[in-house]
Amino acid sequence: MEKDLKSILSRIQYPDDARVVQQIVDQTLQVKTRMGLIRRKLVVLSGKGGVGKSMVTVNLALAFARQGLRVGILDVDLNGPCVPKMLGMKGQRFEFTPEGAIPPTGPLGIKVASMEFFLKPDSPVRWKGPMDLSPVWLGMMEMSVIREFLADIVWGELDLLLADLPPGAAADKPPAIVGFLPELDGAVVVTTPSEVSTEVVKKSIVYARDVGIRVVGLIENMSGFLCPECRAESDLFEGSGNVQELCAQLEVPLLGRIPLDRKISQACDWGIPLLEESEPIPGRFKEIAEKITQHVKMKR
Amino acid sequence: MKFVCMKCETFMLFQKVEKPGEDSLGVMFECPQCGSRFSMVTNPGETALVSALGVKIGGRTTAPEAFELTRGTLKESAVVQPDQSTTSTSASGGGGCPFSSVLSSMQSGTSIKVKWSQEALERMERIPDFIRPMVKSGIEVYAASKGYQIITPAVIEESKSAMGGETGELQWTPGAQQRLENIPSFIRGMARKEIERMAREKGLTTVTDTMMDEVKGKFGQYMGMGS
Repeated sequence: MEKDLKSILSRIQYPDDARVVQQIVDQTLQVKTRMGLIRRKLVVLSGKGGVGKSMVTVNLALAFARQGLRVGILDVDLNGPCVPKMLGMKGQRFEFTPEGAIPPTGPLGIKVASMEFFLKPDSPVRWKGPMDLSPVWLGMMEMSVIREFLADIVWGELDLLLADLPPGAAADKPPAIVGFLPELDGAVVVTTPSEVSTEVVKKSIVYARDVGIRVVGLIENMSGFLCPECRAESDLFEGSGNVQELCAQLEVPLLGRIPLDRKISQACDWGIPLLEESEPIPGRFKEIAEKITQHVKMKR
Repeated sequence: MKFVCMKCETFMLFQKVEKPGEDSLGVMFECPQCGSRFSMVTNPGETALVSALGVKIGGRTTAPEAFELTRGTLKESAVVQPDQSTTSTSASGGGGCPFSSVLSSMQSGTSIKVKWSQEALERMERIPDFIRPMVKSGIEVYAASKGYQIITPAVIEESKSAMGGETGELQWTPGAQQRLENIPSFIRGMARKEIERMAREKGLTTVTDTMMDEVKGKFGQYMGMGS
């Protein structure tokens, strides 16, 4: 009679002499310990690329920091990190200590972690490994790098950590983040006024919910154009991508609309963020931050 | 990964390891009861997949450095790479996996190019052939971490001291020492390190008979530990 492997295995003791399982358990515990010091964690995502996730992340962080909160930004866009440039932090590095990596501090005391801090100027992310042999290997490698970003950074106590995710409606990053951070407080989703964008963003909201991420609300970026002379706002894409309809359909609050503004664009390019709330765009982000606070309790 | 002898209903035991090609391992196993043998050959992708988990095969004796995997795997990094000597020592010194030092040299991403003097090679001939590749790799990792170009008998001695550097602090009771002597000589050193590592993890300063009983339950079957 053929022997049953399952019953054989139940009778003999498994020696974990490679200790791989134990190390993965240890890694998970380290993430939990680090993240335990952070009161609220939000991700900024969009299925669509180029909608302004990083700009939204940076300006939301500034808005919360202006409220006196201790804020950190985790730039999870490993292959296209741009948060450091927007905050004037290019060329900065982590400080490596026995306790972990100390993240550089930017404007208003915002702590920032980004792949950019590992890279030489103009160098893309290139790994030593069988990238030609196995895209599976690359995926696993990126997950491990994200895990190190969550486990190895000495954030200290923070009121809010904002994670800027790379684009992708059904990519591997959102479920990976949820796997590492089961206590994630939610996602802020960014779209633009175009049917192409709203269609993709709709998929990403459905997908986020599927993997257990609560969608806090939607921000429509590039919703119009702010005249540099008179500061009046006008529509750019008339009648395109009805964001209110999308919000109603998906039962997601509309957190706010951000028009194109030459000043904010230059601020991001030059790495000199606009800090004054009297400016139209920081003012909008202030309102958005207040709306988010209604959904996610931020205060200590 | 483990292999089961379906006939004898037991895990097969590691016998020896070879490096049939770059970044590839040929690992031979034998059933301790019926003596059946077979070899498993890994390809470079499989070896790399395990390293992408950010774990050290065989366990760690020291905590990982911050961003160890990221810093060690980036092709062009603007920051200092993690200390390879620490990485290698922890991997080769950690745990009961007998080919961890071979893998650790692959995981570190360094191709070890040190040479062996004739005297050192002759000395290696005294080591049983089935563990010689593992011991050689361990010494090569050590030599590379120290920047030695040629492995001489003096380097072998130095690497032995370095790898056994942790052993001096712990005391052994006479009973535990006697039971250690029952372990075959060619794996006694490895067993001693592992037992002492486990004792330290438990906060013990002395290896006792009780500790040896616990160890026996874990891997006594490999080591022929008598009571």
